[in-house]
Amino acid sequence: MIRLQRVTKRFDGGSEALSNVSLRVDAGALAFLTGPSGAGKSTLLRLIARLERPTRGRIMVNGRDLETLPRGEVPQFRRGIGLVFQDHRLLFDRPVHANVALPLEILGYRRTEARKRVRAALDKVGLLQKEGAQPQTLSAGEQQRVGIARAIVHRPALLLADEPTGNLDPRLSREIMQLFLDFNRVGVTALIASHNLELISGLGKPILHLENGKLEARHVTESRSTG
Amino acid sequence: MKEAGERAGCLEAWLYNHADAARRSFRRRMDAPGQTLIMIAVLGFILALPAYLWLLLESARALSANIDHEPRIALYLDDADAEALADAAARIVALPGVAQVTPIGADEALDEYRASLPDPALLNWLEDNPLPAIIEVVPLERTPEAIAALEARLAGLLPEATRVSDHEWVRQLQALHAAGQRVLLVVAGLLALGVTLILAVAAASELRERREEIAISRITGATDRFLRRPSLYGGLLLGLSGGVFSLLLLGAGVMLTRAPVEAAASVFGLPLVFAAPEARVGLILVGAGLVLGWIGARLGSGAALRD
Repeated sequence: MIRLQRVTKRFDGGSEALSNVSLRVDAGALAFLTGPSGAGKSTLLRLIARLERPTRGRIMVNGRDLETLPRGEVPQFRRGIGLVFQDHRLLFDRPVHANVALPLEILGYRRTEARKRVRAALDKVGLLQKEGAQPQTLSAGEQQRVGIARAIVHRPALLLADEPTGNLDPRLSREIMQLFLDFNRVGVTALIASHNLELISGLGKPILHLENGKLEARHVTESRSTG
Repeated sequence: MKEAGERAGCLEAWLYNHADAARRSFRRRMDAPGQTLIMIAVLGFILALPAYLWLLLESARALSANIDHEPRIALYLDDADAEALADAAARIVALPGVAQVTPIGADEALDEYRASLPDPALLNWLEDNPLPAIIEVVPLERTPEAIAALEARLAGLLPEATRVSDHEWVRQLQALHAAGQRVLLVVAGLLALGVTLILAVAAASELRERREEIAISRITGATDRFLRRPSLYGGLLLGLSGGVFSLLLLGAGVMLTRAPVEAAASVFGLPLVFAAPEARVGLILVGAGLVLGWIGARLGSGAALRD
């Protein structure tokens, strides 16, 4: 599903966010990406979603070589990915259900079908009763769960989450992580960046340590083994 | 990723996207009625102004075409006897572009003149006939170009003759009309440019208000076409409304100014009829509104999405 070969990302200022990173995550696998802030976790996720382009190296996602992916096909490529952000990035000018429906609008779902899917996604994250609420009236944990519902509503094959529990208390954090494990159980490939080592180390999933932009080459397979 | 049958078919999804964009765009206009009405009014005024000028010009053009005037070129020939006159007339008849040739001998002219006087004896003191022989030529075509060409041919044929043409005023009117048309074209072009820029700025600022939504949508896989679509529908909607409003303004303008304009023309002895706009004018105005609305929204949204 995800394959990085000797990927380096250097920003304009000259700092190197990622150095020679190689990684392979098979379809159906779930891996956590950890490391101190500034280690390059977000950059790695952004490269996989093609929100950034590498300075060197090759990235293959879902069978597509991102280097040769034409500009016009980037939107289509991104439709296969669900993205969760630490700051949720909800739209405060519309209610919860409209936030979650955004990817379905882009895909051209019929209104009734979209409604059904939105309700299913909200049910999955335990917020069905809040579908008509305005996002600003929700707690931080609820907002994060709306963001997750939005990321999974169109059933992407790949889920990328950048510090999804960053602002949440331990109990909420565990609930959120459990959601990702549930999605993974039904076949969604997931790569989750988190610096909460205590939380993720108890979940029995491979953990990739990123430090100063460097990562030991890894191959994450669907069964929990690594190597 | 997606189960078959749940998502609309490709064409249906595309149509649904369009309908949804149009609906959103309409709702957005309705959410800011004041701003929308101002835009429609500006558009209406800007479209109505050149249309009004055009109607005025068309009425003036109809005037020059309606007046039943047969242009004539008169050739005055000194010292031409009957034979020379007949010979000249025969040569003129052979020229291209001539409809009719009427030779009037000097004696005949003097007789006509004498007959027009209250007392024919008034001319008895004349020793010689001072009048020249005249050949009246009616051109085949009435356009200033055709008349000028015929005049040039006549000058080549009879260089000694004095030529007087009475089509001068037609030429003046047509020259004024041509100048008016050019001014109209320039004014209309500038106004169209102005409208387009106003709509472009409006579309760009609307997209900038949606900045966060656009960022999220892009991450989720929205194409620029998708993001731009509501703005394009907005442009079309404003253009359509502006076009219809301009038609109302134009009708009102003609109604309010018809009487004084026609009265002013009649003072100059011109039977001008200030015609009300026809259906064709309405179609052009609405069409222009739609086209300018679309172009403006396309330019504005393109610039905003590139930012």
